[in-house]
Amino acid sequence: MTLLRVEDVHKSYGDEEVLKGVSFEMDRGDVDVLMGPSGSGKSTMLRCINRLTEIDSGGIWLDGTPVYDPETDVNELRQDVGMVFQDFNLFAHLTALENITLGLKRVLGVPEAEATERAADHLAQVGLAAQADSYPAELSGGQQQRVGIARALAMEPKLMLFDEPTSALDPELVGEVVEVMRDLAERGMTMLVVSHEMGFARSAADDIHFLDSGRIVESGPPEQLFQRPEHDRTSEFLTGLQSNGH
Amino acid sequence: MSAEEPSVADEVRTTVTVDTDRPWALAGLVAFWGWLLLRWTNDFLLPDGLAFPSDQSFVPAAPFATAAESLGATAASLGVAGAPLDVVAGLLGFVAGAIPSLPSLARGAWLTIVLTVAGIAFGFVLAVPLSVARVYGGRGLRWLSLSYTELIRGTPLLAQLFVLYFGLPLTQIIREVPGVGVGFVPATAVWVAIIGFTLNSAAYQAEYIRSALESVDAGQLTAARSIGLSKVDGIRYVVLPQGLRYAIPGWSNELVYLIKYSSLAAFITVRELFFQAESIANDTFRYTELFVLAALFYLALVVSASLLMNLVEDRTAIPGIGGKRQA
Amino acid sequence: MLQAGDWAFVLDNFDYLLTGAAVTVGLTLTSLLLGFLLGFPAGAVEVYGEGIAQRIVSVSGVVLRGTPIVVIMLVLFFVVSISKSAFVTATVGLGLRSAAYQSQIFRGALQSVDEGQMEAARAVGMSRFEAIRHVVVPQALRRSMPGFQNEFTIVLKDTSIAFAIGLAELLTRGYDLFTQSGRSTAVLEVFVAISAVYFVLTFGTNRALDRLSEYYAIPSGESS
Ligand SMILES: Nc1ncnc2c1ncn2[C@@H]1O[C@H](COP(=O)(O)OP(=O)(O)OP(=O)(O)O)[C@@H](O)[C@H]1O
Ligand SMILES: [Mg+2]
Repeated sequence: MTLLRVEDVHKSYGDEEVLKGVSFEMDRGDVDVLMGPSGSGKSTMLRCINRLTEIDSGGIWLDGTPVYDPETDVNELRQDVGMVFQDFNLFAHLTALENITLGLKRVLGVPEAEATERAADHLAQVGLAAQADSYPAELSGGQQQRVGIARALAMEPKLMLFDEPTSALDPELVGEVVEVMRDLAERGMTMLVVSHEMGFARSAADDIHFLDSGRIVESGPPEQLFQRPEHDRTSEFLTGLQSNGH
Repeated sequence: MSAEEPSVADEVRTTVTVDTDRPWALAGLVAFWGWLLLRWTNDFLLPDGLAFPSDQSFVPAAPFATAAESLGATAASLGVAGAPLDVVAGLLGFVAGAIPSLPSLARGAWLTIVLTVAGIAFGFVLAVPLSVARVYGGRGLRWLSLSYTELIRGTPLLAQLFVLYFGLPLTQIIREVPGVGVGFVPATAVWVAIIGFTLNSAAYQAEYIRSALESVDAGQLTAARSIGLSKVDGIRYVVLPQGLRYAIPGWSNELVYLIKYSSLAAFITVRELFFQAESIANDTFRYTELFVLAALFYLALVVSASLLMNLVEDRTAIPGIGGKRQA
Repeated sequence: MLQAGDWAFVLDNFDYLLTGAAVTVGLTLTSLLLGFLLGFPAGAVEVYGEGIAQRIVSVSGVVLRGTPIVVIMLVLFFVVSISKSAFVTATVGLGLRSAAYQSQIFRGALQSVDEGQMEAARAVGMSRFEAIRHVVVPQALRRSMPGFQNEFTIVLKDTSIAFAIGLAELLTRGYDLFTQSGRSTAVLEVFVAISAVYFVLTFGTNRALDRLSEYYAIPSGESS
């Protein structure tokens, strides 16, 4: 059953066309990975899905709801789409726990006590029960990113977007975040992940989309894309990744 | 907001740094506030029968005057060797001259504090929307907010007070309001001064808050919106709580500024600290005693305000945001 | 409230006000100059000095920064009686106070120059004094520009407080115009007019100084 449908999306910043007709679909429970060189439009694609930025033409549907319909309430839409950022973007003035309760209380209107309880559960799920009262500045990068994931999950989204969730982390901290993501995938969350983490892609991804200069040049399951890439651009890129030690 | 950046941002208009670890300075402050609170309680709160007469000093001046006189005479008889004694005599003479004016100065200091606190508090209420409009508003709002702050910051406060007091029919309007000037309710001129300080301080505070808001990472608002908060809620719950912490140093500046510049209210007949000092000086010709005393009062108030704001800053500091001793 | 007749009155006294504006500008310049001459060494003493000299500088700084400028002016006029001239008194008052602020600007700027600069200068054989003079100070002066610009407009606006000692600068002349001529209906017009002059002056200086600091900025992101 289709959860996300992206159809012929075009998007320009000024004169520069960043997305040149991107289309793909995701079923409920799918885990798709978006790869591609820097500047190819990966982040832009994600930001179009929860309407952090507007598109020029084409359409995006989430669970049948047209994202770009004037009738659609963006704030409600965004509750259904969780987002995890490269540089975490935890609310710097709030503790780990409060980072999670803020949305519960202010967006979903959950009462204080229940919000705290639910937030604590989510923290426990990412292995950070003990850090509930720590401020972001007191947490390691890996811990911050796990809070970031818990914050997004707490809104009980239908779809989770990850924008290079591990690329700002020291190598030894990548594992703990990938672990949490893999766990999430196994529990059936629908996830669209921008990442060059080959291990994660190989083991968790249903499909990989290779984006280059605003176009998806190739899509397919990891075995196919990694072993027998059809396009030169794809194989060049993958070779580059491997030789860079990713 | 890196640590090694000097505080030379173009909004900073005052800086008073004080060493808190000087015991004598601290003792002086404690004595000052103890006396001031006693004086206010006596003059404003105690019923007439119980109170010390409100225009009379707690300590009589006469003994000091006598001591100064006899010491001075002794010093004179000692010739050159009497010089140190002469200094002491001079100091005693100063104290004797200063004592009678203390009750009036205490009353003036009260008004000075009222003007300052009201100006900064009401100014803050205006400054938040002004700065938010400046950072997040559309073109029209941005322009409006910018024009206001530039106009206020580009003209002297004294000229602003004159416009309000002499130029506009403000005084006539306020005078008609029932209760003005009765009991604890300040008189007309005080209200005009409060309006003036509010309008003025709003512009400066808006600048402090604007630059603080701009120093909050843009990713914070993006993250807020990504969990479904509206823009207004994102600003309210995420950006402002952080930005206002960054604005605290600016706020300390503003408080110090207002304490000092509230003295300009004297020129529109508000009987605050400077007004009291000047009018007594003009009556008694004791210029030295009164202006030095006024300076000491202002210094004590300014230093207290700085200490208070340091405390506020430390109290509201969060790991990673604000606090003097943070990276 | 605003009346054509009163605007005409303002226009009639244009020369009178213009002289006031000239006094304002003159006072601003003399005060800033005095403030610079005293404030720059004071800032250096606060950073590099020690013992009693540094103590004196920092305590007088706190006193000058913690006292209203109107009190400072009156102390100079009535207590110290440095001069019969209100202009000289105002210059000394504003100048001393400005020195106290400029010393802070320079202090911050001197401290912001990287330690490595000093070490590098010493490493090529300069004495400590030479290193300060030829390496640290030139960089610090550039970094002081924003603070100095701010100080400029503060002094410009505060010249109006020389009203308290009767100096016939712009604001005083405005005040006299409506109190002495019996033209009390023109109050608003007069003050709007002089405020406009102040605004033009502060705005103009700010833009000019912006240009100047752009011109003198060191490339590679040194300017804020
Ligand atoms: N807000 C913006 N305004 C203008 N141009 C933008 C904006 N955001 C992105 N771009 C441009 O769009 C193009 C695609 O950017 P995008 O961030 O989507 O790439 P990316 O694939 O995520 O790259 P990276 O791997 O470096 O994160 C880039 O050329 C970028 O400069
Ligand atoms: Mg990106």
